[in-house]
Amino acid sequence: MRLLGTWVARVGEGFVRACVVAVVGLLVPGVWAVAVAWGIWWGAGNPWSWVAPFVLGCVGTLALSRPVCRTVRFLVAKWTATVVPAGYRRAGPVTRMSTGYWWNGFSYERTRRDALMDQKWRVRLSDPANWRDLRFVGIVPFTAGVVAAVPAAGVAAAVVGLGQPGLGARIGGALAPVVAVAVAPYAWRPVEPLAVRFLRPSSAMALADRVDELTAQRADATIAQAAEIRRIERDLHDGAQARLVVLGLSLATAEKLMETDPDQARSLMREARIGAATSLAELRELVRGINPPVLNDRGLVDAVRALALDTPLEVTVSADVLLHLDPPIESAVYFGVAELITNAVKHAHATRAHVSLAREGTAADLVAVVEDDGRGGAEARSGGGIDGLRRRLAAFGGTLDVSSPAGGPTLVRMTVPCESS
Amino acid sequence: MRIVVAEDLYLLRDGMVRLIEAYGHQVVATATTGPETLGALLTWRPDVAVVDVRMPPTQSDEGLRAALTARRELPGLPVLILSQYVEQLYARELLADGAGGIGYFLKESVFDADQFIDALERVADGGTAMDPAVIAKLLAGAPSNRRLDQLTEREHSVLGLMAEGLSNQAISKRLFLSESAISKYTTSLFGKLGITDDDSSNRRVLAVLTYLNRP
Repeated sequence: MRLLGTWVARVGEGFVRACVVAVVGLLVPGVWAVAVAWGIWWGAGNPWSWVAPFVLGCVGTLALSRPVCRTVRFLVAKWTATVVPAGYRRAGPVTRMSTGYWWNGFSYERTRRDALMDQKWRVRLSDPANWRDLRFVGIVPFTAGVVAAVPAAGVAAAVVGLGQPGLGARIGGALAPVVAVAVAPYAWRPVEPLAVRFLRPSSAMALADRVDELTAQRADATIAQAAEIRRIERDLHDGAQARLVVLGLSLATAEKLMETDPDQARSLMREARIGAATSLAELRELVRGINPPVLNDRGLVDAVRALALDTPLEVTVSADVLLHLDPPIESAVYFGVAELITNAVKHAHATRAHVSLAREGTAADLVAVVEDDGRGGAEARSGGGIDGLRRRLAAFGGTLDVSSPAGGPTLVRMTVPCESS
Repeated sequence: MRIVVAEDLYLLRDGMVRLIEAYGHQVVATATTGPETLGALLTWRPDVAVVDVRMPPTQSDEGLRAALTARRELPGLPVLILSQYVEQLYARELLADGAGGIGYFLKESVFDADQFIDALERVADGGTAMDPAVIAKLLAGAPSNRRLDQLTEREHSVLGLMAEGLSNQAISKRLFLSESAISKYTTSLFGKLGITDDDSSNRRVLAVLTYLNRP
């Protein structure tokens, strides 16, 4: 009984899926059929009467190709868990120039809306994925579309055949549902290999994407580096440098006053000493922000331990990596962990956190996981801290995953591929 | 006192030697690298050694490692560590053996020569001397320590100075209070923290530091 139940469920599910595939796959031929019917209805006599239906067919195919492909990709992902990457070209950022105009990567526009609109159409029309999508909507009706239409056609044939008086038609009408039922669980399946074969990005597209990605990363890295250097310059200029000037001044004055007013001279020298101590403290903070000394002395694991001790949060550290990685990678991961712990204190109001550092997988990727018991709700907003962190890791081919449901807990996982001994 | 100075920067080493000799102590050896430091500590067995954390050849924590290794060989060998920065992590490692005779200071502590020499003498006597910056970090880094919150502001500052390694007498001078007032504060704060008071100031410091060090 239960076996029968599952069989019925399978047939029913297959039938519905086949119908969906047939409708999606035959949508474009449907447009063509409408165009042809329109042409015939207008009459074949006047050759100009074919122009409008022809235009309808072309525009309809173009307009429908991407939605059809998106739907097929979605259905395949939903039913078979096979994810076919789309590889559509992404629009770059739209930025406001100092002139007040908006630059979208192609042209200057007066308003942001115009710039976005212009960019959307340019990206859409110049996308090499368009050709792939057109090819797919040309192929799919005659392969997966036809096969998927069989169950529905069987039911239709039964209805029509059984209504006919002739014996042949009746036998056909009786056999058709059998075929429909037998085929139903399988009829939608050809769409999967077809999508995998024809819908994935071509190697040229993948390369173009990679080039875009790398260009963006290089720009990010350059900008971040320049900003960092400016920050260091400013800190030195306003801090240590200024203090050293004052120090020299105090000492010069003290030298002058040594004979005439020793008391005054002594107090100036005391001030100079305090000033020297303060500038040292400032330099120490600055150095810590550039490259924490413990990181240099002890490597990543102890540096994170030292960080954990200095945080007003109960942070536990577990690590099974006792090795020195490439300094830039260590530094990136260290500052990543530091930023995440700061977030846990500042935004998540956490009371405790756990950091784990490990090597995982066959390539021994470095995996750093930071968990806290805060209120969650962290997200990778564009331009936000986590987004910046992700981009900094991307420079090393690293990735970052955030799981932070509202109410917590937050778990951030950073993975960096690294070849180290 | 016979003192070993390990510091790789010539100017600083020279200045420190002059400072120490100006106070009538004797610098028996100087070292400029990690291995040299270890050698000097083991051969000379000084009354106290002043050791920089970062030294050649690796420019990492060579000095600290040399000091820790030497103290494993000669337990309780008095060492005062100087560094451009202080880390709780290193303070914990230095204090871990519980043998005393440890100092840990920022380099600029030499600016106040009297206090620096005073700390050096305390360490030579087997006492403990910690930079206020280390203590501040230890106090701030004890997050779930409910008991610390029960202390009054005065008791808090007495605890900090005690952790730096000062005796009751020295604390009373710093805070401009009578010695009997200080001992009242220490008794009350020991009671609140649940530490048994000890007459030997060294063991008292260790008790306080152990308390703060507790993870």
